[in-house]
Amino acid sequence: MFDAILAMVETSVLFAQGGIDALTPLQAITENGMAALAVGLAALGAGYAERGIGSAAIGAIAEDESLFGTGLIMTVLPETLVILALVVVFLVG
Amino acid sequence: MSARKTEGSSNYEYVNARVRKRRSLLFDDEDYRKLLRMGPSEIARYMEETEYEEEINALGSRYGGVDLIEYALNRNLAKHFDDLLRWADGELYELIARYLRKFDAWNVKTVIRGLYSGADADTIESDLVYAGEFDRQFLDRLTEAGSIEEVVELLDRTRYGDPLADAYADFEETDVLVPLENAVDRSYYEGLLAETPTSSGRAMELYVEFLQAEIDFRNARNALRIARSGADLDPAEYFIEGGQLFRESELSQLSTNVDELSTFIRDSTYGDDLTEALDDLERTDSLIGFEHALDAALLEYSDHLSHVFPLSVCPVLAYVLAKEREVDNIRAIARGREAGLTEDQIESELVIT
Repeated sequence: MFDAILAMVETSVLFAQGGIDALTPLQAITENGMAALAVGLAALGAGYAERGIGSAAIGAIAEDESLFGTGLIMTVLPETLVILALVVVFLVG
Repeated sequence: MSARKTEGSSNYEYVNARVRKRRSLLFDDEDYRKLLRMGPSEIARYMEETEYEEEINALGSRYGGVDLIEYALNRNLAKHFDDLLRWADGELYELIARYLRKFDAWNVKTVIRGLYSGADADTIESDLVYAGEFDRQFLDRLTEAGSIEEVVELLDRTRYGDPLADAYADFEETDVLVPLENAVDRSYYEGLLAETPTSSGRAMELYVEFLQAEIDFRNARNALRIARSGADLDPAEYFIEGGQLFRESELSQLSTNVDELSTFIRDSTYGDDLTEALDDLERTDSLIGFEHALDAALLEYSDHLSHVFPLSVCPVLAYVLAKEREVDNIRAIARGREAGLTEDQIESELVIT
């Protein structure tokens, strides 16, 4: 997981270098870029949380099909993280 | 053959979700109360309406009465435990298999006993429980073996190979099965705690502790039986390594005297859990009650662990124990009814928590 985060940070640094003129001397990344990074990290966290919930939900559904609805809702619950993280984009942008 | 190589990490979430559902299908007090009032054929009919339906229907034409119940129970147990091994990946598989090898030991012993008594392959096969790690083909080859020597050779590459080969010499001299059976049991129990798991953490510590408790209880049970029977046996010969309660020398000394032994257990770490059982043992002088109390204590402890550590091997283990108890209980009821015991007598044979 940490590899993925590092890779993301590196690419964001590259993007930031592309628009180097727009940056103040001590800034390595634009505000928008930072907001995008925040959303990305939130999505990563949500995905990781869904991994466990999803496999438990599939287990429960395999035993009892009537749990499909509950399982689905529980599985997508961490998705709220990403939606909340999107707020940051509007605050910054 | 001894351990399937599994890749990836453990899938605790998936296995635990399924196990919890299956756990909820186990019989409760209410069911047992109903069963206690039934005869063997009624029990079979009752089981047909529960999750044993498939097995009862499949075996209904071949067996009847108590045999039908017994075979259906075994087959259902095998189905569920096989599922556990099928679902589990990575370390979780190893942890579950470690415990379920009990059934490998059981099967090996069944085959050896069958051959010793001259039963044919079909009879032996019907008594096997396909729940362990040995697959069906391998067990078929075992049952088709012509002699005990062949079985020992077939098991050569498994964990039972070396101890069995050593014991076979004894067997040839004395022509009694005890050395062979001891070798199988001993390699099972010693395999329980061998190669301590790689991942650490509180749940894993407790898992190890739990297995130690199992070994301790087994030692205590053996010692009590030897002490009670008054037979001139060396308890050290039946001692299982790995527990924390007894050392080999202590056990030989203690098993000569029931009172000393129960005081020793009372002062140990298990004292709190077993006080009632020990009081009971001293009062009624009955080993059965005490042994059931040991089972109940293990069951309760495993239940407790499964609530404290929901994402570990503990819930699976608790399920395995509970299922085993259920099968034992139903069997006890059916056999008890067949033998004409009263409800109270049968009830004292049950382990219900």
